[in-house]
Amino acid sequence: MTDIATIRAHRPGPRAWARLVAAEATMVARDTSGLIIPFGLPLLILVMNGMSVQDEAEATGIPIFERYVIPVALTIVIAVIGVVNMPSFLAYYRRTQVLRRLAVTPANPGMILAAQVIVGMIQSAVGIAIGVAAAMLFFDVGLPEHLGTALAVLGLAALAMYAVGMFVAAVAPSGNAAVAIGLTLFFLFGASGGMFGPTDNLPEPVAAVGEALPFGAAVQAVGAAWAGGEQNLAHLLALAAAIVVSAAISVKAFRWD
Amino acid sequence: MPAIEVRGLRKRYGDTLAVDDVSLSVETGEIYGVLGRNGAGKTTTVETIAGLRRPDGGTVRVLGLDPLRDRNRLRQVLGVQLQEAELHSALTVRELMRLYRSFYREGADPEELIERVGLTEQRRTRFEALSGGQAQRLNIALALLGLPRAVILDELTTGLDPDARRQMWAMVEGLRDDGVTVVLVSHHMEEVERLCDRLALLDRGRVVAVDSPAGLVSRAGLEQVVRFRTVEPFDTAVLDRVEEVRSVRVVDGRTVVTGSGNLLHAVSAALVRADVVALDTRFDQATLEDAFLALTGSAFDGGE
Repeated sequence: MTDIATIRAHRPGPRAWARLVAAEATMVARDTSGLIIPFGLPLLILVMNGMSVQDEAEATGIPIFERYVIPVALTIVIAVIGVVNMPSFLAYYRRTQVLRRLAVTPANPGMILAAQVIVGMIQSAVGIAIGVAAAMLFFDVGLPEHLGTALAVLGLAALAMYAVGMFVAAVAPSGNAAVAIGLTLFFLFGASGGMFGPTDNLPEPVAAVGEALPFGAAVQAVGAAWAGGEQNLAHLLALAAAIVVSAAISVKAFRWD
Repeated sequence: MPAIEVRGLRKRYGDTLAVDDVSLSVETGEIYGVLGRNGAGKTTTVETIAGLRRPDGGTVRVLGLDPLRDRNRLRQVLGVQLQEAELHSALTVRELMRLYRSFYREGADPEELIERVGLTEQRRTRFEALSGGQAQRLNIALALLGLPRAVILDELTTGLDPDARRQMWAMVEGLRDDGVTVVLVSHHMEEVERLCDRLALLDRGRVVAVDSPAGLVSRAGLEQVVRFRTVEPFDTAVLDRVEEVRSVRVVDGRTVVTGSGNLLHAVSAALVRADVVALDTRFDQATLEDAFLALTGSAFDGGE
């Protein structure tokens, strides 16, 4: 006969967290096509720009490579992982009822969201390390003038991208829809934020909006840290606002089934 | 104390009343079937028992615990297999078993359980590459990882071939032998008849009847039918005095006798006494499906 008193609650401990993070890492690593853009595209941008802008940089005395190209490449890494890849996993987990399945175990489906963010952070760190290493090796670029600031700004920008990703996962009904919405946001943010060339070339209103969005704000803030310039508070506030607004909507709109 | 007790459960989705008034009492160690058509409220009922849905009215106790308020305690001792729920597609059987095992304080050995459900050869196979039967066996194994005292199985064998289905049935019977309480949601009459100690018939969000499968059949008051042929015509009056017989007709040289109780034996004995030789004797007994039709007054939709 059942004795209720013997039934004790047990929240999943460090071992469960480790297994879940490992499970998400395995899912990400085995999704080969999802690795190409965050790791490949930034390298491609570094190489293409590295061959074309170096003379220009010397001629004008402005370190375009440090000011724009590297920041754009690194921002692409965190934006693709946060805004496109992560939500596609989460929407897929909801659609196939993986989240519901977890909800009937002692684990909380929220753990899977946290595990995806942790894996996304690790993946971003790897992507950033590859990008920076390539820039240093092939294009004679040094470490950022303000290394600590650059890392902090990248971390803040990554959080902003994951928050936007959570928003995408909250509103997308399927994994496919998540990729579509995520890619649309990625290109909107990117195009207005300097992904296809320095924002000086954009119409002023577009550039202004782009700088207020996470991609443009991240590019400006990382660029400033790299070139040793001062941080513009507006860009940091834009990133913080993206986190707060996206997180608030996600918490309200996220469906588990 | 019953292992699972549901009283006056009510659940509405928008304008649809999914569960109107459902009360169930599942005893410890029994296999309890929940049977009904699509939309009868079966899945909503068991999902409320599992703590996935908040009832609009009524109470639910599982092993004495409230599925919502005592969620963290109940999760340790209640195993649930969900209809149509999938798993991480790129993880292997072994990876999934170890992952889910880590959620429980106490539990089964993943390798041993993999062997018990017959997935040893697939333990390095990714979930997305498993056949329907293999995936379902993995689902059962996951539901049993925490050594549960009660298990909810929703559409256990839907989509399985007969062979895989029989393997599943043997596993569920093994659970009963271990004293685990099982709630089985099913569409499949043969499955319910074979496995369930008792079952609840649901129709339009209400419990129509609760009984053993045989009890439901007799409760439906459906007649048994004995048909036979005789070489020579005989006086059917010899059957009139048999208590079990309700009617006797002769159609195209065949005698059709309806009645109840031990009809076949009673008719045979009466014929022997009257020296009538019966040929091609056929006996039809009402099935659970017939009982379902009679008790719910609607066609049973066994498909989908």
